[in-house]
Order: sequence, then C-alpha cells, then structure tokens
Amino acid sequence: MEVIYSLLPDQMAKDIQNYIHSHSFTPQEIRLRINRPIEINSGSDIHWITHQRLSQQEAKYILNRISEHSIYRLEEELRQGYITIKGGHRIGISGSVIVENGSVKAIKHISSFNIRISNEVVGISKQYLPLLYDNRYMNTLVIGPPQSGKTTLLKDLARFTSSGWKELPAQKTGVVDERSEICASLNGIPQESSGLRIDVLDHCPKSEGMMMFVRSMSPEVIIVDEIGSEKDVQAILEVINAGVTIMCSVHGRSYEEIRRRPALSSLIDQKVFSRMLVLSNTCQAGEVIEVLDCDGNKIAQRGRGVY
Amino acid sequence: MKWIGALLVILTCFFTGMDYSRRLAQRPKALRLWKNALLILEAEMVYSHATVQNACENIAKQIGDPLSGFFLSVSKRLQYEKTDLYLIWEEEVDQFWTRAALSKEDKEIIKQFGKTLGQHDIIQQKKYIQLAIVHLENKHKESIEMNQRYGKVSGSLGLLSGVFIALLLL
Repeated sequence: MEVIYSLLPDQMAKDIQNYIHSHSFTPQEIRLRINRPIEINSGSDIHWITHQRLSQQEAKYILNRISEHSIYRLEEELRQGYITIKGGHRIGISGSVIVENGSVKAIKHISSFNIRISNEVVGISKQYLPLLYDNRYMNTLVIGPPQSGKTTLLKDLARFTSSGWKELPAQKTGVVDERSEICASLNGIPQESSGLRIDVLDHCPKSEGMMMFVRSMSPEVIIVDEIGSEKDVQAILEVINAGVTIMCSVHGRSYEEIRRRPALSSLIDQKVFSRMLVLSNTCQAGEVIEVLDCDGNKIAQRGRGVY
Repeated sequence: MKWIGALLVILTCFFTGMDYSRRLAQRPKALRLWKNALLILEAEMVYSHATVQNACENIAKQIGDPLSGFFLSVSKRLQYEKTDLYLIWEEEVDQFWTRAALSKEDKEIIKQFGKTLGQHDIIQQKKYIQLAIVHLENKHKESIEMNQRYGKVSGSLGLLSGVFIALLLL
C-alpha cells in the first residue's frame, strides 16, 4: 500500500489512509476521477471520500509520479490502457484516445485512474493442486470475470508448481508476464515469494514469449495471463505439441461462454485443457466455484466434492 | 594618497575587463558541454528508455564539471523529493547559472527545455531535445564570434578605461 500512497498527492494519500484505517477494510480498488469524489471498493462495498476531489493538476501529478517523470516510457502502457507499478498493483486509465491508422495510439487527457491493489494471498491454490496433477501437471484454464482473482490464482499456482508442495514435485516454470502482474518483477527480477524454479519474461508479448520459452528455457510448465487473441491460441497449440504444460487464464463467466468465443472455441473443441477452474466475482478473490474436465463435466464444486 | 586611489581605480577596471574576457572565452565551452549533455540525454531516453532520474545520473557520470554536479543534484532530488520535475529543474538551473559563464538567453533555452522534459511521448520528446540542441548550437556560434571580436580587446579596454577615469579624477 505504501507504494500506492507514494504516488498520490500528500493530502489525498493521508485522507485515503485515514479512511481505510478508521473503517478497517481491505481495499481492492481505489478509483480516482477528475472532479469526482474518491471511490474505494472493497469487493463487497463501495466507499466514498466526498470532501476531496481530484483536480486536473493532481491527475497530471499522479501520472508523472507513476512514470517517474518520464511519460515517454509509458508509450506501450498508454496504448494498452493500464500501467503496472512496483508490487504488482495495476493502474487502469481512461481518457480521450488518440487514434492512428484505426488503432489506438495513446491515451491523452487522462480523466480516470483505477488503482487495483494486488493483495497477495499465499496458498489459495493449494487445495486445487492435487486435482491438477496426474503424473505431470495438466493443462489448466482459469476462467473468471474481472476482479474474480484470476491473476491472484495464477500467481499462486506459479508459486507452487515452481517450488513444489507435499508429494507434488517442483517443476521448471516459465512465466510470460506481459503485464508484470504475476511475478511483479522489478527490473526483470521476480519477487522473493515467486517460487524456486521460476523463470520470467517480463513485459513480453504472450505469444512470442511462449515460443521463446519453448526454444530457450526448456520449461515444464508455462504460465500466462489473459489469453484471447488468435495469435495466443496458435502459440498455445505450439507449446502443447512441444510437450509443455500450459496454465493460463481467460476472461469469461462460464465454460459455455468461453466455448462461444471464436478464438478460443478451437482450443476447447480440441480438448486442450484437461482442467478448467471457474471463478466468480461474488466469492472471495481466487476462490474456485467449480472444477471441470476437458469436456466441461464437473469434477468438483465449491462446498461439496473432492477438495 | 591620490596616486594610491588612481592605482586602485585602474586595477579595478583592468580586472573587470579581464573577467569579462574570461567569461567570453568560457561561454563557448560551457555551451558545448550543455549540447553534449543533451545528446546523451537523448540517447538515454530514446534508445534505452531510462527514466529522467536514471538518465541524469548517467549524464553526471559521463560529463565534466560543473555540469555533472547539476545533473547529479537533479537526479538526487528526483529520487528523494515528491515535487514536480520542472520545479526541481528550474531551481537547479537558477542555482547553476549563478556560477556559470552563460547568458540569460542561454538560461531561458534550458528552462524552456525543462518544461518539456518527460512530458511527451518518444517522438515528441526527441523533437524537443533536437530543438534545444539547435538553439544551443546557434548560441554556440554566436558566442565564438563574440569571443573572437571582444575577447582580446576587453582586457586592454578595461585597463585603458581605468587609466581614463583616473586621469579625469586626478
């Protein structure tokens, strides 16, 4: 949290800190909009700090702090619409968009910030691990809507596949961390808590990163976040045919919904993923509501079942 | 007593003239140093995507005094202070100029440049650096000309004007 406070104007940081402290909750998002009160989400509740409003000047200040006074470094990030900062927190931005040749070139005049706080939860994937292992780790897809804890779960999976747990062996794990969220690397070095046998390609485009790993790092498991494009799917097929296990996440609410998505349906039809973990944003972040096999049949469910 | 006074007047004028000629001779060197610094800055920003703070630190390592001191303190302050880059830049420029053999116009160029620092995307940033370099280049040429024209004369001119004033007063 200190990292986030250091980005905000002093007074605002103090107010938010005091508010969170006096109401004692764990924030998931802090949303700042120009000329609007500050919104803090805790997952279940919305809190407002009404006596403070973000001015244009302050928005500029925050952007400068995020980029360390070097906006030219954020070109790619401004095109993608989010910035990952130290500690793996992600700041989404919106504003007026500059378009060039029909594609987004940058976001200018930023009007809202969405600071998504990454609360590290160690051990949430433990209970599902035995379901994902059968002589080797199985290809796993994590399905969940925004804010359901997909990244948190993947982060935890990466930790356990790379350092092992009980009778499960530690395997060489490659993480293609396009948004720098899974390992929260700083200058390319993953955080201490990331696991033993972990190799990270930080800020690397997913499809290229996967291929680079297969060629150069001989991984046993590759972990990527938020797949979705045709290129990603191509790369996944390549990886699987190379005998490497893939674990990835995707936006969506259910197995049926994923099946309908044109790019992903081929993966589902080919029964690439032997295990699918479905998350929901109504539960705690990272809590799996059901585990499916490659045909979409339930193996386990929250509340009852194996785990 | 009179003669001592006259001597003092002459000496003062002479040294003023010498100082002026020294400043004229130093200005082209200082401007060239600034130009080099901006070229390094461009390389740091455009090709290695360093933050302004890191770029300043690297420039301080590569360039000679007194400019290295300037960039070092900008970099240090960026690291520890929670203020705007431009405020730091402006203050440091003001402080640097009290000691430098540079003119007010040169200062204005550097200050204006500071306003654009880190506020744009790569292409725009590169253009602004180029613009500042072009301005400095012009000033550099001008300063060399000034030095050639007045550099040698000003020392003797100081002495002569001192003698002139002393004669008037005697």
